[in-house]
Amino acid sequence: MEDRLTLSNKFKMLTYALMGVGVVSFALGFVFDAERTWANYLLNNYYFVSLAIGAAFFAAIQYITQSGWSAMFKRVPEAMVAYLPFAAVFFLILYFGMHSVFEWTHHEVVSHDHILQHKSPYLNVPFFFARVVVFFAAWIILSKVLRKFSLKEDEVGGMLYFEKSEFYSKIFIFVLALSFSLFSVDMLMSLEPHWFSTMFAGRSFMAGVLHASSIIALIVIILSKQGKFPLLNHSHLHDFTRYIFMSSIVWGYFNFAEFMLIWYGNIPEETSYFVHRWHGVYKILFFANIVINWGIPFLVLMPRKSSRSKLFMIPVIILLMIGQYTELYYIIWPATVHEAKFGLLEIGTFLGYAGLFSWVVGTTLTKASLVPKNHPYLEESIQHHF
Amino acid sequence: MSKKYILGVFDDEATLVDAFEKLKDKGVMPVEVYTPYPVHEILEGMPIKTRITHAAFFYGLFAALGILGFLTYAASISWPLHYGGKPFNAFPSFIVVTIVATILAITLLTLFTFSARAKIFPGKKAEIFHEQATDDKFVMVFDEAGIANDSESVKSILTEHGKIE
Repeated sequence: MEDRLTLSNKFKMLTYALMGVGVVSFALGFVFDAERTWANYLLNNYYFVSLAIGAAFFAAIQYITQSGWSAMFKRVPEAMVAYLPFAAVFFLILYFGMHSVFEWTHHEVVSHDHILQHKSPYLNVPFFFARVVVFFAAWIILSKVLRKFSLKEDEVGGMLYFEKSEFYSKIFIFVLALSFSLFSVDMLMSLEPHWFSTMFAGRSFMAGVLHASSIIALIVIILSKQGKFPLLNHSHLHDFTRYIFMSSIVWGYFNFAEFMLIWYGNIPEETSYFVHRWHGVYKILFFANIVINWGIPFLVLMPRKSSRSKLFMIPVIILLMIGQYTELYYIIWPATVHEAKFGLLEIGTFLGYAGLFSWVVGTTLTKASLVPKNHPYLEESIQHHF
Repeated sequence: MSKKYILGVFDDEATLVDAFEKLKDKGVMPVEVYTPYPVHEILEGMPIKTRITHAAFFYGLFAALGILGFLTYAASISWPLHYGGKPFNAFPSFIVVTIVATILAITLLTLFTFSARAKIFPGKKAEIFHEQATDDKFVMVFDEAGIANDSESVKSILTEHGKIE
């Protein structure tokens, strides 16, 4: 089953064009409105790194639970994880924009602020970047190891590499749980350094899993429309939908639990976060966030028929892609740009990153047989039916 | 029991499904199939489709609306009380109660609906077609009156794969 993907020139040109749009948008943005551009930079970086991390989590879960159904598609999450090295470089470049987005990097602010002084052993620039380096090193090394095992398995076969992958997935999942929680706290929660929420890390992680599993399903559907994955059947689609449905409910639960406890507790230092997100456009975004990321997927994907039909899945997935953007916009903008500005700059930078991400996923998919060989559960995946 | 039935008893899933497919091609449908575990071919092949999922959805919808409505009515119209500086209509705090009570309502209502449709009630004497149907055998039940025209061919297919009792 040597079935390698080849990228059409049209796809390559499209991704280059999108990357070009992104570069131009950033260049113009830095000239005219640097602060807003850095906010865009942070948003897009976080958006795509959360997809890569969610995909890594998805792949690890498949190994740990010894899932049979997904064995055919494991190259797709692997390809998404290959974006991590790019993200690492981008997050290091964020150094130059620290002052535009993170309030706690300003010495004159910290020197007058008792709470920020108290937090400064954790929230300071050198330690911040030390964490970024350590996290990305751990993620990249572990994902490279897993990818190497996965490719070795194609050549050698047998159970050895599957068992090794399972063991390393267990390590990976613990590393991810701790590091990505701290990472989301660093990147998003510390935008408002006085505010804190213990739910925040869980919610951000679930958002990553939710959107990554929907993107995995989208890539599989697109590839199957190109004639790849001829053995994709309704049961596989139903399982992808289950991931989207499940993580959407967990995300909704975390989001609601975070809001309700803060609303009920009514402690000023906690509610301050929501008070200025409760005016004007942000109030619309607050409800749109819940409806897009939980309400619509929950209702649309509930019936058995729609949960196994591409016709229903594709619109929901596209909506979820907008949903992740909405959530990050709602988190980042009130803390950095303050005014709810949305224009060509936002669209252009997002398209640039989307182009880069598609290019990375596409080229990584071409590097190995699209359907893995010698995976112990491959036959079960092909026969999958319920 | 006044009706007469033909039972096909099978030892494993493969022979059962084989016989089922052959009979289906002939246009003969069993009244009921008893299996130790769900068999997909039978589930999808049987002409009766369950509508209990739709019933459960609407129970859930109406239960959620009803409970939310009741809480809002009780807290803000019938007996408004100040507590903790909250508005009378403390909407976010109603949601947890609504979720839990909706699950209870769906469970009970679906259970009652199912029992009523399947004519099951506590203390009812069980209708057992075959002693081992509750054990490890696969049993297909045919209404003899319904297949009177080609009962011979049905019997031959059944004996080919299993046995008739």
